[in-house]
Amino acid sequence: MTFKHLVKTVFLTEIVKGMALTLKTMLTRPVTRQYPKEKRPAMPGFRGLHGLVRDQQTGEARCVGCGLCAAICPSKCIYIYTADSLDHKKIVERYEIEALRCVFCGLCVEACPYSAVILTEHYEYSDYSREAFYMTKEKLLANWDNYMGWEKNMEYFKKFWHPTADDFGFPKNQAVFRGKQNAR
Amino acid sequence: MMTDKGAAELQTKELTINMGPQHPATHGVLRLVLDLDGETVVKCTPYIGYLHRGVEKLGENRTYLTALPLTDRLDYISAMVNNQGYCLAVERLFGIEAPERAQYIRTMVSEMSRISSHILWLGTHALDIGAMTVFLYAFREREWLLDLFEMLCGARLTTSYARVGGIRNDVSQEFIDSLYRFTEEFPGRVEEYETLIDQNRIWLKRTKGIGVIEADEAVNWGLTGPTLRGSGVSYDVRKHAPYDAYDKVKFDVPVGKVGDVYDRYRCRMEEFRQSNRIIQQCIEQLPVGPIMAPDAPKLTLPPKNTVLSSMESMIHHFVLITKGPLAAPEGEIYSAVEAPKGELGFYFVSDGTGRPYRMRVRAPSFVHASVIPRLCEGSLIADVIANIGTVDIVLGECDR
Ligand code: SF4
Ligand code: SF4
Repeated sequence: MTFKHLVKTVFLTEIVKGMALTLKTMLTRPVTRQYPKEKRPAMPGFRGLHGLVRDQQTGEARCVGCGLCAAICPSKCIYIYTADSLDHKKIVERYEIEALRCVFCGLCVEACPYSAVILTEHYEYSDYSREAFYMTKEKLLANWDNYMGWEKNMEYFKKFWHPTADDFGFPKNQAVFRGKQNAR
Repeated sequence: MMTDKGAAELQTKELTINMGPQHPATHGVLRLVLDLDGETVVKCTPYIGYLHRGVEKLGENRTYLTALPLTDRLDYISAMVNNQGYCLAVERLFGIEAPERAQYIRTMVSEMSRISSHILWLGTHALDIGAMTVFLYAFREREWLLDLFEMLCGARLTTSYARVGGIRNDVSQEFIDSLYRFTEEFPGRVEEYETLIDQNRIWLKRTKGIGVIEADEAVNWGLTGPTLRGSGVSYDVRKHAPYDAYDKVKFDVPVGKVGDVYDRYRCRMEEFRQSNRIIQQCIEQLPVGPIMAPDAPKLTLPPKNTVLSSMESMIHHFVLITKGPLAAPEGEIYSAVEAPKGELGFYFVSDGTGRPYRMRVRAPSFVHASVIPRLCEGSLIADVIANIGTVDIVLGECDR
């Protein structure tokens, strides 16, 4: 054992260094978020609870019942029942999502050609029964009214509707590195 | 009784105990049956399968496009790498390539994933061995990375970000700036972790000379990733079969010498710095251009704005979603990426339909779980914890 090693062992240098760091960190601003009291807003494009878009003109769901969202859903948790109306129009009788089986991948939004189904930014929906998570068409429309609405609409879809024509080409204002100074 | 027979005839026998499946140090639901002679482990038998969800079978029932979210749930702390691995395998099967910008972005996000996975490993490994502070420090940085993932794609863990032929959406300027700030600060944070445990005598006692595995034996066990490199074998898929942008960035592959718990720890600490370097280079070199491959073999969805205006696009959109990509060539392919845990491989057998005939995932955690008995037998029971931590397994990936 060298002398240096002996000094280190006796004076617990590495432990003292560690303690100094903890002491220093103690004086910095805490990073803990007091969650239920202090809520953190979801980032734009967050994939939360589902909703069905309410059409501005008709006040009904915009969905036409094409079934693409149900076809692409990896967990097969979207159920769509359509029927013929009296004037031979296709009507969506029931549109149901089993939210407990959903994996929140966002593929249904990506697949829908009519931008009729969305994932809202709402994420606090715990409940005591399983039924509460069985989303019927009414509940889904209510989710749209409560958590999304029309103000966010187009901005919102930009995050989900991919690919766009821009993704195949050279759009303007693509994000690039702008030098260290600008990264602050 | 003791008095008339005497201590010399005291009967001792091996004790069999169950460690897990709910033991906090088994990182998920791993069950180990340990035969103990006093405090020494005589035999160790891992039982796996508690998290089995049949990912491989599910993959065969999904089209190439819709099986992607399943891969998020293999190694759920590094979803980006799994997505990338899956997409690369499908791209290689179809013979297409993602555009350069997408390749850079994928490389960047999978290195972020590697850092976040190693951070989780460091925190929990140290916590198991008894150093609580590191855990709290490490999670501070992890939170930053997860926030960045959320900013990027709307999900923190199950990202589903890479797409066959590119990526889901482009990065924003805000994301790039924030990530660059992270890469500037992160090396300092790694130093902090090292200040806390690197020379700490308790840490050294618990890790040096524990769970030693020699280089050739490690290779024979099929170990990969930092678990192999800790034994001094410089094998890294990113270097030996570069994919995406890895051949355009500079980085070193850190290796250990002895192959004990401490060396593997050192390897992963160095990987923090190397991954940080890669991210920085990716940002600096990020080219402009498309992020989705032009849909040559009709593999990517058509641009959204044309779906309702062009007949061809609409048909393509419908067929691709309901039937999957129909231009699949027949044959088989194995493609591997370097996941934080080791070599993550995807093997497809294609029969020309829109879904794989067989999908197999070569999960590093599965292989690494098999080496636990080799590391544990003959050691003390306290070292079992260190050994489970050091091979860095995630049971979601192990059981699939
Ligand atoms: S988010 Fe994914 S899993 Fe959930 S309903 Fe949509 S497609 Fe299905
Ligand atoms: S894809 Fe859109 S329009 Fe078609 S059924 Fe689903 S929500 Fe309705």
